[in-house]
Amino acid sequence: MSSGRQSGMMRKGLALILSLLGLLLLTAQANDFQFPLKAGSVRFAAIGDMGTGGAAQYEVASQMVASRRTFPFDFVIMLGDNIYGGSGPKDFQNKFELPYKPLLDAGVKFYASLGNHDDPNKERSYKPFNMNGANYYTFTKGNVRFFVLDSNYMDPNQLAWLDKQLHDAGNGDWKICYFHHPLYSSGKTHGSSIELRQLIEPLFIKYGVDAVFSGHDHVYERVTPQKGIYYFTEGSSGQLRDGDLAKTNLTSKGFDTDRTFMLVEIAGDEMYFETLSRTGKEVDSGELPRVTHSELGAVPSSDASSASRKE
Amino acid sequence: MRTKLHSARAMHTLLLVGLLAGGWARALPGQGLANQSQPKADPGFEEFLDRVNTYVRLHNSLDSTLPKLKTTDRPEVITAHERALAIKIGEARPTARPGDIFTRRARIAFRRAIRSEFQGSDGNAARTTIRQGEPLKEIHLRPNEIYPEGAPFTTVPPTLLLKFPKLPDTVAYRIVGRDLVLLDVKGNVVVDVMHEAIP
Repeated sequence: MSSGRQSGMMRKGLALILSLLGLLLLTAQANDFQFPLKAGSVRFAAIGDMGTGGAAQYEVASQMVASRRTFPFDFVIMLGDNIYGGSGPKDFQNKFELPYKPLLDAGVKFYASLGNHDDPNKERSYKPFNMNGANYYTFTKGNVRFFVLDSNYMDPNQLAWLDKQLHDAGNGDWKICYFHHPLYSSGKTHGSSIELRQLIEPLFIKYGVDAVFSGHDHVYERVTPQKGIYYFTEGSSGQLRDGDLAKTNLTSKGFDTDRTFMLVEIAGDEMYFETLSRTGKEVDSGELPRVTHSELGAVPSSDASSASRKE
Repeated sequence: MRTKLHSARAMHTLLLVGLLAGGWARALPGQGLANQSQPKADPGFEEFLDRVNTYVRLHNSLDSTLPKLKTTDRPEVITAHERALAIKIGEARPTARPGDIFTRRARIAFRRAIRSEFQGSDGNAARTTIRQGEPLKEIHLRPNEIYPEGAPFTTVPPTLLLKFPKLPDTVAYRIVGRDLVLLDVKGNVVVDVMHEAIP
């Protein structure tokens, strides 16, 4: 090999190293948000509309694994459309078990809600989704109570169940609801689920729900707080509708040009969050105080078809 | 700002009280059979619920002959149970046809409820809900057919569900195209269908 060619290759190698270093520096500068990582805090990730089995889902999953090195989250909430287009054993494998294998192997638990592309009967009985055979259920982590709803089928049974569960939760813990269809969304394809909102938002207000996470629109959006409640749409952890966010006065922060996922830490009365793209770029971040809800009603009812547990 | 917030909350509380008074909260959830105290004024709904209860008894007796399905990390076990139940249901109802449960009187009651929903002030919202749920088109299911693998589940407008008789967990209403389908949830099999029900 000639010395000229050798030095050319060295120059190219040096340029590549410098470019990578530059990219690392840029990434470090862009992602200057720091989670407090307080002792005893509740840490989780949120993903929605992810179960395609495509390359983008795997890339987001890899980024989640990388993020967990600096933000050790314990569990993941799934905002629906967990398994697209068929729910045979291969589908569960390619659209869930393989992309999230490093997280599953590390003991990270997943808590699924049902989207319109999910087969309820199969997914609720699938152990790794932690639904325990129920279409809607509740679980507690630290000082946070999660209410997982089936927004495809908000029937009187579920409404009565939600009413009772929110009532019984009292007002000590954070209350976080998550389900597939967003009550507020600037997505051009679907947008806000007005009918659903008319039915369940009064309960959220009455019982002091603090934050709501949804998917369905294949974008990321943090909505301006509505009636004292924080709303997030995270529907782009596998799917993406490029440019689908309309300009509305609902949006605090929106992102519709790449896939994303969310990281959340709740410590005391503060919620810290960071939304990252599949390349690890920070899309949104912030610290949100818990809004004080003083009103607490009492409308008792009962339901044996759903699950409630302390984790 | 605070005053506005309080009045908004008061309005929502009033809305909820209205809904409760409207009847849905009277339903006792988690019952094995359909609640007979649901929209009972209409004899068509009564007849429908009687047929549903008969079906649920059949379902329970067939399901009890299969190994109990527990949560599992093996999806093939869930699929096998679902298929086995669907086969048993098909064998037990070999002559099932549209109208067995959505009887003529029931269809009149359902069409009345649907018309009031879609022609009322909430009509546009109900149409939007169906559209947002990515409706299936050009599919007409028949009793004993399996719900198509991989097909999305169209969102049933929640305000429409409030106008329909409350169902036990065994079965659920589904909208497929313009058809209203009664689906056996655990068997993923069509129990009955009411064609062209949705305007």
